[in-house]
Amino acid sequence: MEFRIRKGLDIRLDGEARREVRPLETVRYYVSPSDFRWLKPQLLVEAGSEVAVGTPLFASKEDERVVVVSSVKGTVREIVRGERRSVETIVLEAFPSDPFRKQVDFAEPETSDEVASLLLSNGLWPFLRQRPFSVIPSPDSRPKSLFISCFDSAPLAPENDFLLQGRAEEFREGVRRLHQLVGAGCPIHLCLRDGVENACFEAAENVQFHHFSGPHPAGNVGTQIHRIDPIDKGERVWYIHSQDVAAIGRFFLTHTLSFERMVAVTGPCIKSPRYYTMVYGADISTILQEQIEAKNARIISGNILTGKQLSQFPHVRLYDTQLTAIAEGGEREFIGWLLPGFRKWSQSHTFTAWLFRRKTFSHNTSLHGGRRAFVMTDVYEKVFPFEILPLQLLKACLTDDIEQMEELGIYEVDDEDFALCEVVCPSKMEWQKTVREALFRLRKEIGDS
Amino acid sequence: MSVISHISEKIGRFFEKGRPLHCFHSLWDAVDTFLLTPAEVTKEGSHIRDAVDMKRIMITVMIALMPALLFGMWNLGYQHYLSVGMETGFWSCFWYGFLKWLPLVIVTYISGLAIEVAFAQWRGHQVAEGFFVTGFIIPLIMPPDVPLWIVAVATAFSVLFAKEVFGGTGYNFLNPALVARAFVFFAYPSVISGDSVWIAESADAVSGATPLALVMNGNMAQMPSFLDMFVGTIPGCIGETSKIAILLGAAVLLFTQVASWRIMLSVVVGGFVTGTLFHTAGVCPVNGWQHLLMGGFLFGAVFMATDPVTATHTKSGKYIYGLLIGVLAIVIRVVNKGYPEGMMLAILLMNIFAPLIDYCVVKVRVKKRKLNISKHRIKL
Repeated sequence: MEFRIRKGLDIRLDGEARREVRPLETVRYYVSPSDFRWLKPQLLVEAGSEVAVGTPLFASKEDERVVVVSSVKGTVREIVRGERRSVETIVLEAFPSDPFRKQVDFAEPETSDEVASLLLSNGLWPFLRQRPFSVIPSPDSRPKSLFISCFDSAPLAPENDFLLQGRAEEFREGVRRLHQLVGAGCPIHLCLRDGVENACFEAAENVQFHHFSGPHPAGNVGTQIHRIDPIDKGERVWYIHSQDVAAIGRFFLTHTLSFERMVAVTGPCIKSPRYYTMVYGADISTILQEQIEAKNARIISGNILTGKQLSQFPHVRLYDTQLTAIAEGGEREFIGWLLPGFRKWSQSHTFTAWLFRRKTFSHNTSLHGGRRAFVMTDVYEKVFPFEILPLQLLKACLTDDIEQMEELGIYEVDDEDFALCEVVCPSKMEWQKTVREALFRLRKEIGDS
Repeated sequence: MSVISHISEKIGRFFEKGRPLHCFHSLWDAVDTFLLTPAEVTKEGSHIRDAVDMKRIMITVMIALMPALLFGMWNLGYQHYLSVGMETGFWSCFWYGFLKWLPLVIVTYISGLAIEVAFAQWRGHQVAEGFFVTGFIIPLIMPPDVPLWIVAVATAFSVLFAKEVFGGTGYNFLNPALVARAFVFFAYPSVISGDSVWIAESADAVSGATPLALVMNGNMAQMPSFLDMFVGTIPGCIGETSKIAILLGAAVLLFTQVASWRIMLSVVVGGFVTGTLFHTAGVCPVNGWQHLLMGGFLFGAVFMATDPVTATHTKSGKYIYGLLIGVLAIVIRVVNKGYPEGMMLAILLMNIFAPLIDYCVVKVRVKKRKLNISKHRIKL
């Protein structure tokens, strides 16, 4: 089916990744439980233990079968603890000869449960996520449909067909296994960008193809679910990134367990933006040293809308395929509110930059104002392509009115769907945080859907 | 630039917690962010933000009000000299109006901002910009000769009881500028009604009746031409007389997308249709489009009804809200001879009903959403 997204916003930034790949090799690897939403870790290793690719590092306290495994062969160098001794990061050190992959012997799985247990025991299960809540799904649950978004519309996002270059066969196998996992009654939706190269995805079988066009957030899985198979209370949908589908495919096709992946290193502060292959968790300090000159750059795992600022243990999170570096803001401008604003990026038409249709702006992390109570009422709907009243839903989230949230469709959205609302908000509200916290309370209240 | 920010940083230290001037930190913050854009960077969520903020939006509204204000100043002088029978030049008219306007605006700002800053300090918030527009509008909708103490009391009343008791800008449900005017209207009716108040220091013999009052009293013969009403060379409040200036302001607001075109359009449509209906029924000698040019109708439609906080918040709600304002304004005008200017009351009334309209719209949307989801079920 064809879907045309009309509401939304493409933010243009310099620093799009060129289609060239470099390998990243490093000895340090970081795994943070906070990369997985609301996961409470049950630690399975201690400092000094030796691990191999696929050795469980920690399990989820909610379900011990869900484990996050080591992506390298080496030793646990340190377990960094934060407040109240919660595990912040597990620092691994790879052996110099590590090939970053492991052969696994297993019999061809025949049933859904066998696929599930293979994914679980080899640490591939966390690739799957569930809406509502964007958490790792429970191994006993099965979704009503599975979504694979094969393009990313976020600013400077990597091109998925490049990420999967030469891996069409693995992708096909991955989709086949996922189909086996979710069962014949559950449709798999493959969402493609209209008008770009999609050859590596089109070989997939037993799936429904959907073509999307229009601005961001056309590539967000939330937008796609909303258009194709909206979620009501008590329903769940799974989703997975196309690169992770290929990783699952490789596992079943060649019996090789590997967490190697491709990541786009992008942004105006990057000297030569390009793709890197790296193993999940890799310390990216060498890239930063090599690529960043600016003293004051913010390093983000993910894109500028939803990514996480990196500081102490810089690595690209499991669900991100992109690293972005932009300049820190904070420059003060004399009577900036009064000036015509020739170089100011704004969705509103209150700055003259809009008149001249400037294409490029030097975005930085300035908040451009102070936090205010909510005043403007129709700014959000312009960038929010859901049949949901964004303002009313956000108000329900703020007031913790669960009934109202459910009625307005909270189960369909995730914090990332409100990222653009947050960007354009003249009151400088933190909507992603609001939605995430509301979802957290909701999940506590009603359980996992 | 760095010199200014250096100085501001130095002064700012006196207002930090534990320092002697901490009790004025909200005031300092307001001054500081007035001079220099804030240095804050994003912390949670999106790493970049739109350059627009409340200050920018409010200044845009004030720019949109400028044509009406400038014309109003000139017209104040023009009407005054006309009534006393003196011929003067453009600048002396303007200067006269300016001197009339200046004390009004100073008193409004002092009275309103004092309360605004005190509340911000008390709550530990930054001073919200909302009052800059409110305080700018209040002098534009008062009669020119209104005693200053009344303006001060009215402003204080509206800021306190229409806004701050509910939590400040963004939490109010009534338009504060209109509340100030309604306060004067009900508490001191003699200064804001009748024929003598609309021309500054007019000669006693001259009737300064506004066109609206003339029509409602059946005095069609003395009516100014509709061209005069369109250009604005008629007695009235500073801001409301010139429809050209107001339309210029409307253009600014619509172009910058600060105000909702849905509301503006539906107010005008509602007013026009109701006016035409009354005219055809023979109740009122004025027809639909003439109604739009009279009194504060257009000023209300462009600058007051579109206040995003007190209007409805849903898209379809905005049409209903605007339409009803237009209808009610004309109904009050035509039916209630005692008070011809219905716009103020119509907007205030609809401010009160706006949450109800929103409530209904949300309910309908929720139902539609459920239907939509069940439709998907059938399709799959």
